[in-house]
Amino acid sequence: MSLDVVILFLEQGIVSGLVIGSIYALLALALVIIFKTSEVPNFAQGEFYMAGAYVALFLVVFENIPTVLALPVTLVVCFLGAALFQKFVLTRVWKAKGSPINLVIATLGLSYLLKGLVRNTGFGDSPRTFPSLVSTDSITIGQASLTYLDATIFCTAVAVMIALFLLFNFTQLGRALRALGMNPKAAQLVGINLSRMNMVVWGLSGAISAAAAILVAPKLLVSADMGHVVIMAFAAAIVGGFASLPGAVVGGFVIGIAENLVGLFVSSQAIAVAPFLAILIVLLIRPQGLLGGRVALKKV
Amino acid sequence: MKTIRTRIAVAAVAIGMTAGFAGAAYADDAPGVTKDSIKIGLFAPISGPNKAYGFDPLNAAKMWYDKINAEGGVNGRKIDYVVEDTRCNANDLVAAVKKLVEQDHVFILNGGSCSSATVAAKDYVVRNNIPMVMLNASGDGALYPPVKQIYGAFSISQHAVGGSVVEFSVQHFKARKIGYINHDDAYGSWNIEAAKYMAKKDGATLDVQSVSPTISDVTAPMLKIKAANPDVLVLTTYARPAALIVKKAHELGFNKPIILAVTGTANLGQMAENVGGKAALQNFYTQEVLAGAPGSEKLQWVYDMYKKAYPKLAAQPDYPQPYMPYGLPPAMAVVRALKEAGQNPTRDKFLDALSHMKFDSKVMAGPIEFSPQDHAAQESTIYLKFDGKTSTLIPGVYTNAWHYGDK
Amino acid sequence: MNRTVPVLGSIAGLLVLLAVGAFSGGYQIYIANLLLVFIVLSLGLHVVIGEAGQFALAHAAFYGIGIYVAALTTNAWGLPFPLPILAAGLVAGLIGIGLGAVALRMRDIYLALATFAFGEAMQWVFSTWTGVTGGPNGLHISPTRVFGITILNDTAAYPLMAALTVLMVVIAVLLSRSRAGRSFRAVRESEVAAVAMGVPVRRTKIAAFAISAAFAGVAGGMFSIFSTYINPDSLGFQTTITVLTMVVVGGLGSIFGAVSGAILFGLASEFLRQAPSYQEIIYGGILMFFMMFAPRGFFSGIADRLEASRRG
Repeated sequence: MSLDVVILFLEQGIVSGLVIGSIYALLALALVIIFKTSEVPNFAQGEFYMAGAYVALFLVVFENIPTVLALPVTLVVCFLGAALFQKFVLTRVWKAKGSPINLVIATLGLSYLLKGLVRNTGFGDSPRTFPSLVSTDSITIGQASLTYLDATIFCTAVAVMIALFLLFNFTQLGRALRALGMNPKAAQLVGINLSRMNMVVWGLSGAISAAAAILVAPKLLVSADMGHVVIMAFAAAIVGGFASLPGAVVGGFVIGIAENLVGLFVSSQAIAVAPFLAILIVLLIRPQGLLGGRVALKKV
Repeated sequence: MKTIRTRIAVAAVAIGMTAGFAGAAYADDAPGVTKDSIKIGLFAPISGPNKAYGFDPLNAAKMWYDKINAEGGVNGRKIDYVVEDTRCNANDLVAAVKKLVEQDHVFILNGGSCSSATVAAKDYVVRNNIPMVMLNASGDGALYPPVKQIYGAFSISQHAVGGSVVEFSVQHFKARKIGYINHDDAYGSWNIEAAKYMAKKDGATLDVQSVSPTISDVTAPMLKIKAANPDVLVLTTYARPAALIVKKAHELGFNKPIILAVTGTANLGQMAENVGGKAALQNFYTQEVLAGAPGSEKLQWVYDMYKKAYPKLAAQPDYPQPYMPYGLPPAMAVVRALKEAGQNPTRDKFLDALSHMKFDSKVMAGPIEFSPQDHAAQESTIYLKFDGKTSTLIPGVYTNAWHYGDK
Repeated sequence: MNRTVPVLGSIAGLLVLLAVGAFSGGYQIYIANLLLVFIVLSLGLHVVIGEAGQFALAHAAFYGIGIYVAALTTNAWGLPFPLPILAAGLVAGLIGIGLGAVALRMRDIYLALATFAFGEAMQWVFSTWTGVTGGPNGLHISPTRVFGITILNDTAAYPLMAALTVLMVVIAVLLSRSRAGRSFRAVRESEVAAVAMGVPVRRTKIAAFAISAAFAGVAGGMFSIFSTYINPDSLGFQTTITVLTMVVVGGLGSIFGAVSGAILFGLASEFLRQAPSYQEIIYGGILMFFMMFAPRGFFSGIADRLEASRRG
């Protein structure tokens, strides 16, 4: 491989990696905010993302609602859906037997349910596209090429991340959520309404996933299996540090770039196994991830 | 008290085991054949994510059998069919096959739209000498090496897909270097084997990128293809990855001809939408295994027959589905073999009739042809240039020349 | 007394299965054989999750290892029973030791994720290592020879399958009543307390992984007795979840629960095959329902109620 090609591959790999990585980062954030407050790795996260895409698809393509109205409606629907799942299903599961395993299994059940529902409506049979709000003409950065859509995806995702950062650090709601993440019992003692906060967290996670889906749907198409990208989000969260929000963001970009570089320099076939290897390696060598601080105390 | 329980338990086990051994399968040359009927076991994915591969082809097979019955049946017997759903996975297919054979006592099996699932039934079918005529599955894994009981590839084998598309690239585009993107699954391994052989034979080189069917970011494989600067790009992927690759090729400014194998052409209208319209399809070709372009008069009789048999389905949008016609040639072959097997059909007579069959189905690009060493029915393809709205036929029929054992 | 009833109950249930199998057609026996494999798989998962409280999600990987080892030893060297199945259990168990050693430091959730990643990576290996596993084309499995008889169909395999299942249940019961079993449960309840009681926690955890993997490997060996073909598609997370559902439905933490969950859910799946478009919905619904209303499983709930009414 000549030096020219190596440089081309590096430039393209990094640029494309940043774009797709921004989506992984959003999904990883959605995973981590739940994990920090409910201690549950949400195996239905991919289906939140997929459901968001289908709700938007339904509204825009089938009901012909103008995009400007359909997108916020989608976000609200997904926020509510996730919040209600937390309130009506998960709280009952926790009360029935307080073990995190059961919560995880419940999320697994939800993921099958959502996938089955989408397939049953008949939309899920062939991959569909979502109209792009932005042109798909190409622009070049150095030797790397990307589209206006790609640039929009990246910028919007970063904007969402900044908004979340502001939310968590400068609003009362954000402070309450952080308190919940640090110590639920203490948070309750200072008057924070746990059940409402938990609903908000899950709702946020649902809305963020839907936002990611809406952003990337014109690029990656909408299909019932699109939730499969969640494995990348898990890898991103683990690499960055499963209990760290900035870690999730960093992890997302790392995984996105790694995916592209592995595909370019190793083989296209290796792309599929790369996230699993990343998870295993990180958990073996540095389980707290890049930004996770010290290893969490073991549960007693 | 415990001892008595244990003794009863042991006795029950012993009885169970003896009775188990006693339930041996009876030997019978013609189960499923009565004075006035022949029972056929049909199976395909008629629900689930892969419904498009089997639902309408199965309907086509059924409508052919119904037509034959309406004309008096075969040698005075009506064709009686039982249907099972395989959902395109090996476990369900094996269960469906065993159910049809052991519970429904069918004479022969006619089914299978998903190759890798169909392969799972091979040993069972061979061990019990049950003729299996695949539906529209490529079925390479069960056809190479050929076994007495199994016939298939009525649409086309994956080997023939790969071999013929290379032939087309070389003959039509005079390509010396061919970019080739396939999947790292069973189908991918089959089509690449023949593609490599044909490329070598024709003096061309292949630049191969194998991707997972679940891939989402296709930047890496497409960039590598572009860097290799081939004369054409062949895609033998499924529809979703194909759309992503075509889009990415356009983004990267790759403007050589792109040829999409029949594996990914399920819904061309949707594909045009998915890649953003005409701009990405300026130099885009599709492989087809039917006798004419979709919509041509050569195939009108098939669609008319479908409309008559299934008026309610035909009235729905998206029906009949693209693979529907593929269900006809297998049913035709079954009927011909039954006819030839005569008044007292046995499974062996049926298989014998298949082993030297040749006929023009008037549905597929090439004849349905078998020999004792070749149980793959159809090996020819035609090509169309698709610009997003219309398909234009490229003259010529391109046939795979790879045979089992060629390296 | 409390534990004897469910144990004998499960053996009785197995015998009913045996009797039913003896008098049904070949297709039912095929389904019964599959159920028996799932019973052994459930026992294995019960040991690591139910008894030892380690949320390990790599079960399908060990099952797959078992199938390939048994198939390869039969295909390549024509080894007669019981060698292939012993090899299957052994190799799977050894790899289980490796995974256990590596997973020692991990907490619940990280353990779940790491084992999940291991399982998926293993499936990729099965698909890619074409030279050994046949890759995506799958592997054909030669018939097994048992004491001179070649097993060529489900009916012939059934008695052996049933005997093996009974054996594995007995082993699981003995294990549960042994010191090892007590150590597993101690670690599950509280690692700190276990250490205080002198339980060698590290070794116990590794042992739980190894035994669970060995059970899955044996289940794989059993599969290769009556099956003629294996393909990596059925060796992924979906299968692990199926077994997890069986154990959860029957009741985590009891052998009876694992066995009965496998039978119940296996039969339910067979019926679900008749309503294919709703399969995923019903499946997800069952998981959520049980977690919400019967978290200790179907039979634990009944056993509790019987116990309560007996006490009056």
